[in-house]
Amino acid sequence: MSVITRLKDVEDKIYLQSAFKSRIKRKRQIADFFARLVVTSGGIAIILSILAILFFITIEVIPLWRGVKADLSGRFDIKQTAGIAIIITDDTPFNKPIPIFAIGLDEYREIGFIITKTGKINFISLKDGSIIKQVPLSKIEGKNVSSIFESSNNKQYALGTEDGYVLPVEINFKVSFTQEGKRIIEPRLFEGEPFLVESITLNKLAYNQSSDDSRAAAVITSDGRLVFVSVETSSSLISDEIKNLFKHDLTSGLKGDNVTSLELDSFLDNLYVGTKEGRLYHWSVSDKQNPKLVDVISATAPPGTPLTALGFLLGDRSLIVGDASGVVSVWFQVEDETSPIGRKLQKIHHFKSHNQPITNIASSSRDRSFLSADSSGNISLHHATSNQTLLQLSTEGSSIVAIAFAPKANGILAIDQKGVFYDWDIDNPHPETNLKTLFGKVWYEGYSKPDYVWQSTGGTDEFEPKLSLTPLAYGTLKGALYALIFAIPLSLLGAICVSQFMHPSMRNVIKPIIEIMAALPSVVLGFFAGLWLAPYIEKIIPAVFLMPLVITILTLVAMILWKYLPKFIHARFREGTEFFLLIPIIILGILISIWLNTPLENMLFGGDYRNWLFEVLGLQYDQRNALIVGFAMGFAVIPIIFSIAEDALSNVPKHLTAGSLALGANRWQTAIKVVLPTASAGISSAIMIGLGRAVGETMIVLMATGNTPIMDWSIFNGFRALSANIAVEIPEAPHGGTLYRVLFLAALLLFFVTFVLNTAAELVRQRLRKKYGQL
Amino acid sequence: MEVILNLASVQGNILKYNQILKKSDQLIKQNLEDKKQDSIRKEGRSHQLEISDPIVEIENLTLEYDGKPAIIDILIDIPKNHATAVIGPSGCGKSTLLRCLNRLNDLIDGVTIEGSVKISGEDIYDSNIDVTELRKRVGMVFQKSNPFPKSIYENVAYGPRLSGIKNSTDLDEIVENSLNGAALWEEVKDRLGESALSLSGGQQQRLCIARAIAVEPEVLLMDEPCSDLDPIATGKIEDLITELKQNYTIVIVTHNMQQAARVSDYTAFMYLGRIIEYDITENIFLRPTNKQTEDYVSGKFG
Repeated sequence: MSVITRLKDVEDKIYLQSAFKSRIKRKRQIADFFARLVVTSGGIAIILSILAILFFITIEVIPLWRGVKADLSGRFDIKQTAGIAIIITDDTPFNKPIPIFAIGLDEYREIGFIITKTGKINFISLKDGSIIKQVPLSKIEGKNVSSIFESSNNKQYALGTEDGYVLPVEINFKVSFTQEGKRIIEPRLFEGEPFLVESITLNKLAYNQSSDDSRAAAVITSDGRLVFVSVETSSSLISDEIKNLFKHDLTSGLKGDNVTSLELDSFLDNLYVGTKEGRLYHWSVSDKQNPKLVDVISATAPPGTPLTALGFLLGDRSLIVGDASGVVSVWFQVEDETSPIGRKLQKIHHFKSHNQPITNIASSSRDRSFLSADSSGNISLHHATSNQTLLQLSTEGSSIVAIAFAPKANGILAIDQKGVFYDWDIDNPHPETNLKTLFGKVWYEGYSKPDYVWQSTGGTDEFEPKLSLTPLAYGTLKGALYALIFAIPLSLLGAICVSQFMHPSMRNVIKPIIEIMAALPSVVLGFFAGLWLAPYIEKIIPAVFLMPLVITILTLVAMILWKYLPKFIHARFREGTEFFLLIPIIILGILISIWLNTPLENMLFGGDYRNWLFEVLGLQYDQRNALIVGFAMGFAVIPIIFSIAEDALSNVPKHLTAGSLALGANRWQTAIKVVLPTASAGISSAIMIGLGRAVGETMIVLMATGNTPIMDWSIFNGFRALSANIAVEIPEAPHGGTLYRVLFLAALLLFFVTFVLNTAAELVRQRLRKKYGQL
Repeated sequence: MEVILNLASVQGNILKYNQILKKSDQLIKQNLEDKKQDSIRKEGRSHQLEISDPIVEIENLTLEYDGKPAIIDILIDIPKNHATAVIGPSGCGKSTLLRCLNRLNDLIDGVTIEGSVKISGEDIYDSNIDVTELRKRVGMVFQKSNPFPKSIYENVAYGPRLSGIKNSTDLDEIVENSLNGAALWEEVKDRLGESALSLSGGQQQRLCIARAIAVEPEVLLMDEPCSDLDPIATGKIEDLITELKQNYTIVIVTHNMQQAARVSDYTAFMYLGRIIEYDITENIFLRPTNKQTEDYVSGKFG
């Protein structure tokens, strides 16, 4: 019985054992499966997250390149809808009596207005073209309007009458909301004080008023004279207003040309006159008592092509010129010593030709875009800075008589000779960016030549954004270069010294210490460099440049002395630990250099090296400059390069060094001729990874430079790096705006640069590894 | 109950006796060992060969790694322009002895060396000796072929360049002669610019020999030069050694007793850091005087 039970026990055991085994096997299979799953999904997740970052950055950037979209949202014949008659008397685009003088609209694009010859402002609904209200101009009631001037801000107008008066008019819209949240837009009209110019019909008019209540007008009378009038109003304590009125007849300057268009800027400084003979006249009228003819330019090609339209870009500094051959160009004053006012009008941009005479020009009050319309009913949307024609619209073939840009630059109004009224929706969020403005040289308003400039925001609405990424990329490269100039020799020589010459016990101490350097937050480094190091270095620049020399000489002297020291002193240092003796020598070298600073500065640089730099080398010294960044960023890069290079050097097989030593090479020869080439794969990837870190580094370049986006290799100048630029500007970049997207583009560029660097590093490493791979 | 207690005490006693026995056994063994060592030392000295024209004279050389002796009291002379083989089981100090001859042991931490090694009558452990000069005089070929990751030409020219030879016609001549000397010239003369790593294992080892003889050393040390090679490549290297010993003094460490018998004129048998027997190769293999030598060469241990 007992034997049977025992046998059964054994049987059970065997069964259990096999069951146990199969359970273990299954367990192992499950564990294996899950491990594989976790590892694989981890790897895929990393790749996906990098791709996702790239994807989302790209999504933010792509709209920069999206073209302009335009939809015709309204078209009506205003004769039918509003009963406004169009009078056609002359078909030539210049010298035409204009039935409808100007059109405009509110910022919500609900109400438009039409100023007609009868001196009435007709407000019409842009939904159906019906008249909302008609407002007569009370101060010139009953008079016929003969000319009109529209200022570049699309709000102020001036009307010239048939009896020689000029009436300033401002039209704006009051927007209010009812309790139900319904928007009510109420058009408002302000009439200024009319003033008499000449008692004769004013055929053409240019008018503007400056902020100090000075007003000026230039007119072409029906008898062909050019008259300039300025009215100065000044307030004093005793009397209310003292008016100074100056009037000048400038006809003699025209040499018989027929004037087609006039423009007067809002500073009341410059009067531009375009003529049928293709000449552009420039009067300087800043001295109201004595207007000066500065320049007469043959502005068209071929010479003699009539000028048909003038206009100002936002800011009243750039003049838009359209001619009878359909060419549109932008001009502004550029510094020129030969000119009596020190600046000369120059053609800067020109755009795709209409091939038809230009009839109208209207500029955007948002940015540097403007519209040009021609006698065949074509309308083009241009952007001055980026020098591109963004959009071409065509109508029903009749000459455009008036055109307006919506205040938010999201719509275009135009009316043609047949009285057809067009209303387009425009989607043009980023007109100012193309490859040329982002990376190329652009001639910005007021600059003396085309240049790479980054200046994203300015003090006024009229500011021209300058969004060239080139100075930023340059800054990034400059910072990385100076950092590497400092870091590569130190870290590579350090790695050679530690791996090849030092005693292993010292290596075990020094390597972790240097690796701790990498753990230092870069903001601390940047703060330290910008606030302590930069002012200190500024005091001792001659000493800084003296240091390498002094330290080298002292080290050489110390080595020679070491050689002749008696043996018992040598014996106290284990081989590979004598390097410690160099520490006091280096400190001594630094102290001697600092001590020599003032005498050296007095002797070589006349007591002030900054002055010497400026006068002899033409260099400006900035306190936070590339030298400081070189030190601080070098400090951040050194541990990375050192650590990887040291590993590579230490991993060179011992039998190779033994082989070299056995041939009678000394350690230095072995290190240079055998170890260094063999470790070159690792060393090159060390440098590339260091470069990648230097390119992407943000806080140090942000804090240790002046962040001026200049392009200058001088070590004494600051710079602005792509990364620091993103950090500085992203808080002020409106979401979805051009600047916002350009900053994302900068991020993409940075991503791309580091990607290329890392890929290059990997390729070099693979190649070198292949070459030395059988070791 | 009492019986059980008794039994337990007996068991305890037995354990004690066992321990005592073990100890005494150990003592006896140690004693025997000591005696054996003693006899080995005596025998080693008694078997000292008289070499008429020694190039290497090693006297009472003892080397310790961190206080642990690796080779003990070596006393042999190595004859000029002959091949001398050092055989013995693994870890007996053959390679260490070899590395004493070009002071490659200096690189290892915690090594202390006593005694003297004279090469051409000059004590190489003298403090005035320039180690790099010494290593030019004593070439070495390693167990694992270790060509530098450079071209074939540059590998051979490495040593001469270190000695300051820059003239390219001189270098060309040296490279050709050395490769000829290592019986490699015919195989590589058309691809001297190719990486040395593109050669086969046997060719790489012959390249290392060419590299070593390019500086014309007085002594050529070979540390198991064929252990990584196939029989054909081994045969080539062995032929080469026979060839080379006309002009060079060769000291070869080998595990392969047939190889020692084939290539060497003299053979030293080492065991536990000592030279047990040193004699003409024929005597070592055919008429060993020492029991251990006989056991080793006849394959009884090793």
